[in-house]
Amino acid sequence: MPPNKKKGEMEGIDHRMVKVNGITMHIAEKGPKEGPLVLLLHGFPDLWYTWRHQIIGLSSLGYRAVAPDLRGYGDTQSPESFSEYTCLNMVGDLVALLDSVAGDRETVFLVGHDWGAIIGWFLCLFRPEKIKGFICLSVPYKPRNPKVKPVEGFKAVFGDDYYICRFQEPGKIEEEIACADPRRVLRNIFTGRKLGPTILPKDNPFGANPNPNSENIELPKWFSEEDLDFYTSKFDKTGFTGGLNYYRAMDLNWELTAPWTGAKIQVPVKFITGDFDMVYTTPGIKEYIHGGGFAADVPNLQEVVVIEDAGHFVNQEKPQEVTAHINDFFKKLQDKDNNKSF
Amino acid sequence: MDLTFDHRFVKVNGINMHIAEKSPSVAGNGNFDGVLRRPVILFLHGFPELWYTWRHQMVTLSSLGYRTIAPDLRGYGDTEAPESVDAYTSLHVVGDLIGLIDAVVGEREKVFVVGHDWGAIIAWHLCLLRPDRVKALVNMSVVFDPWNPKRKPISSFRSFYGDDYYICRFQRVGLFDSHQKKMGFTLQEYGEIEAEFAKVGTERVLLELLTYRNPGPILLPKGKRYDDPVSLPSWLTEYDVKYYVSKYEKNGFTGPLNYYRNMDRTWELMGSLSNAQVKVPVKFIIGDQDLTYHIPGTKKYIHEGRFKSHVPLLDEVVVLKGVGHFLHEERPDEISKHIHDYFLTF
Repeated sequence: MPPNKKKGEMEGIDHRMVKVNGITMHIAEKGPKEGPLVLLLHGFPDLWYTWRHQIIGLSSLGYRAVAPDLRGYGDTQSPESFSEYTCLNMVGDLVALLDSVAGDRETVFLVGHDWGAIIGWFLCLFRPEKIKGFICLSVPYKPRNPKVKPVEGFKAVFGDDYYICRFQEPGKIEEEIACADPRRVLRNIFTGRKLGPTILPKDNPFGANPNPNSENIELPKWFSEEDLDFYTSKFDKTGFTGGLNYYRAMDLNWELTAPWTGAKIQVPVKFITGDFDMVYTTPGIKEYIHGGGFAADVPNLQEVVVIEDAGHFVNQEKPQEVTAHINDFFKKLQDKDNNKSF
Repeated sequence: MDLTFDHRFVKVNGINMHIAEKSPSVAGNGNFDGVLRRPVILFLHGFPELWYTWRHQMVTLSSLGYRTIAPDLRGYGDTEAPESVDAYTSLHVVGDLIGLIDAVVGEREKVFVVGHDWGAIIAWHLCLLRPDRVKALVNMSVVFDPWNPKRKPISSFRSFYGDDYYICRFQRVGLFDSHQKKMGFTLQEYGEIEAEFAKVGTERVLLELLTYRNPGPILLPKGKRYDDPVSLPSWLTEYDVKYYVSKYEKNGFTGPLNYYRNMDRTWELMGSLSNAQVKVPVKFIIGDQDLTYHIPGTKKYIHEGRFKSHVPLLDEVVVLKGVGHFLHEERPDEISKHIHDYFLTF
């Protein structure tokens, strides 16, 4: 074992810093240099680390896996103003990243989870020519509604205490997380199975058991103390503001993405969710996914997979299954491509 | 010449947009439906102009069978000018145009586009972001300037041309409260050029800009006097000037100036379109006396291949001898013919 191996790092995963779009970005990578490139995008409150199993799995299957800490997270730079956390800024980072790591490849495979899925949708909207296929975990496409701003829309449907509304005021939720203890909050977020919509009441927002012995409640098999240590140490260092800025930029995003009103996603897509995911179980979502709306907005939606007995972090809960689904889909697209050339 | 235009207001992207329209005359049998199925040309004006700059093309091309539509862009003329200086990025303006095309032509419908000056910049961005809505483009005066991570606009202009360069003089001059900046708020910044324009007078400002024929960059040193008489060129009548002055006197220059104030912010956001090609068929027209044609590097860019490498469907480049910046007003029939000849091929 390398002498200066950092806590939580898995063997063989390379780490480096890349200058992109005005910031310095930390990426984790593994896999044959010439293999098909898979770009893996984490969500909130997450890190490159969420993809540890997929990185190992996909690289052993011949892919070059690249997982950044997105802007505002982990070892990547966090600009100060929320106005620098729009999807245009994010896609700018990723386009510059691809310029740096994709080499001669004209297209890459894309995997996104949670906010990484949302950024993935925008990357597919803005730069479809760069994406061969998109695996979307948890968060389906949400076409822009020109009549309703996002935050007021959520407030109207789910109330003031809907988590997205509670995340808006700069500094407030950070305070509440600090009070409830970040480690406990992270543990509850990753391993919790509460169904949607996610409501954070103003007193006791994280449903944190005030019992100081709650630490002793067993973690599930798929999420170890070391995993929790890793997340806690990173978020202790950076705080949560970087990640929260994505939510605080949602209305600004809406304003700036007016050009894409009515635009459809043209990239081939496979959607995967866990059946206990709070997004999947939020009212309206199942209807959208299975009722035809999703397919109408994403004409090249090829597959919808609902994994049983899995929550929001399905890529961590059922890692082998998710990796197999990813490989299955990308291989299919690759084969289609190869057949075309005959 | 039938100079009657239909005017109306359309609610798009949160603003009330004024458009002028001229369509093929309805035949005696009252075939209104036929008109709506005619190909549409969307005309995008520049600075410091209005829909009115397209009057000649609209007359000619509507008589040739096109539905012609020319908006006052956001911040101009009778279109709403949002108060926030931050509401004038290319993303906002292209958003307006998508809303406009949806509303007056149809969702998923494509249009022909003609752009000039700032309208040309907006047209390039419209084609980059929504190539699925543009059938073909005739763009004038301003070439496609591919995104460059090393060239943040205002600081580049400043180092290249100096502080008196008009784009530098148009910038906002505001003071950020550092706490507010941390919170992501921008103070309602103000520009100082509006006050200087007011001193010179609206008519004089417009005349100086509309009759500018120097191939060099526009420099506006502070305190410069504008006393010498200005003679009107043949293509600009007293009536035309009166029209422009009336609108600019009513609405001021701030809306139009805000476009320049968002060049850096647009640049920041357009990193997402880095190295993207313009994938729409294009015909480009420029006058050889236009100051844009004389920007160092531009002739080479146009004629030696780089323009085409970024706009692979660039079908034709036309350089008009002895013609200046406002080419479609200087040579209206010639430009209308170029437009019609090109769009006929689709």
